[in-house]
Amino acid sequence: MRDDLRLLYLLIVYDIRKIMRYKVFILMRVAWFSVQVGFFAYLISHIVGQRFGGELTYYHFYLLGAYTSILFTVSMFRGYETAQEFEEGLIEYMLSLPIKRKILAIGRILGGSIASFILTLPMMLIVLFLLGAFDLFSILLAMASAMIFSIGIVSLSISLVFLIKSGDATDITFGILDSLLVRLSTVFYPAIILLSFIPYYYVSSVNPLSYLADFLRWIFYPQELSKYLINNPMNLAFFIIGFATSMLVLATIFIEKKIEGGGWK
Amino acid sequence: MINIRNISIIISRDLQRFWKYRWWLAGLITMNLADLFIFALLFNNMVRRDLIPNYFLFIATGIAAIASFASAFSIGREVGVEIRRNYTQYLLSLPLSRIELAFGRILSGTVRGLIYQTPFIILLFILIDLPSPLQIIYILIASTLLSTTMSSISIAISTATRNFDMQATLRSFTYFILFFISNVFYPDALIRQRFPGVLYNIAYYNPVSLTVSLFRIIFKIYATPPSGYSELHIIMYLAIWALISMFMGGYLYIRNLEK
Repeated sequence: MRDDLRLLYLLIVYDIRKIMRYKVFILMRVAWFSVQVGFFAYLISHIVGQRFGGELTYYHFYLLGAYTSILFTVSMFRGYETAQEFEEGLIEYMLSLPIKRKILAIGRILGGSIASFILTLPMMLIVLFLLGAFDLFSILLAMASAMIFSIGIVSLSISLVFLIKSGDATDITFGILDSLLVRLSTVFYPAIILLSFIPYYYVSSVNPLSYLADFLRWIFYPQELSKYLINNPMNLAFFIIGFATSMLVLATIFIEKKIEGGGWK
Repeated sequence: MINIRNISIIISRDLQRFWKYRWWLAGLITMNLADLFIFALLFNNMVRRDLIPNYFLFIATGIAAIASFASAFSIGREVGVEIRRNYTQYLLSLPLSRIELAFGRILSGTVRGLIYQTPFIILLFILIDLPSPLQIIYILIASTLLSTTMSSISIAISTATRNFDMQATLRSFTYFILFFISNVFYPDALIRQRFPGVLYNIAYYNPVSLTVSLFRIIFKIYATPPSGYSELHIIMYLAIWALISMFMGGYLYIRNLEK
């Protein structure tokens, strides 16, 4: 057990250390996110007539959605990384190490999600600064929920890579998933707007992005945004935890079964 | 002396490869259609009617321009793969001049952009109205010039580094800068009002914005077209963009191939 925990720790550290390779990537992402929230979000909030009560505008509403979508994209990117490791033969090397398959799967998922969270930390700080949100408890709660959400998404993305076992197909599947899941969620619009197209509403009501975006909104604006959420705050929190736990368990079982035998295309 | 036949061989080869990436194309189409039939339809219920009477049609013209832009960008992805895999040595050994090779690749991206964009233009005809023959020619010229510009820019970016992640990041970064700092999502008047000065000029002269503006003038999406915009003015600006980027892209492509 102690050895397993040590190995788990080493795997997590391995993924976190890799962040240092991505200095330019982080800088580009931060620059791109700054344009998204400083230009796109600012302008688009001026064409939106929707008001949320008090001083709250669409801009505040969208900022937390934008953070959710970038965290989702960066967490999904762990899947690309795994696909690349397959192509480079690194996964086969890891299989030859004296590490249990289960520990390897959990370690890579937890390491990947912590790394994703760290990569998006500058974006979260930009959003918090723009919102003027400096309450420590709210910030810690937002960080914890983002971290848990990322575990679910990294589990999903790595499972998909093991299922598809092809670099090109992974690329396409992730592109389609990203564009559909971000748009069919409450990232851009409140739940009441989605109600105008019932099929879209149903998809968004089981979409994890909707749950994190709305939970973050509830953390910082519990009064103003409560009636615009897709579900009540307690359910939002339970959904995020349930999604992450179930995806982690499923991914661990799935990876254990699929990792043997290769078959990478 | 440029041999047109050599260039046409490169174009037809790149076109055949374009169809090989049909799943990648399916992904791209999904993204564009999701923007139109999910984002624009839902957002239409939130937008101030005094600013934009019909946001769905407003975005539809933007998506049509973006379509050619995204597809033309695909040539950069392939050029990047060739550089990474040292496939360039094979390309350089072909009985073609460097100029034919470079312009052939740029024009391949242009043709791809035009092919991909055509269904989106037809969709505009169905959703809005059939323009006059002269206006259809304007649309064709503008789309060709935009595709050439984007094809050249993406080739220049993709040959700048051999690192795959860096290539992808640089391409996405350029794509999103051109995408967000444009009038695809918001009217020009609002950009001018909120970001007067340098940022407005960047958005105004962005080739994507220029094409979108032309489409919006032709399909009568603007209540009042932005001042200084006419079909011929826009085509002139787009031609300048295409010429400069084609020479820059061609020069950088050849230089980086020979490194």
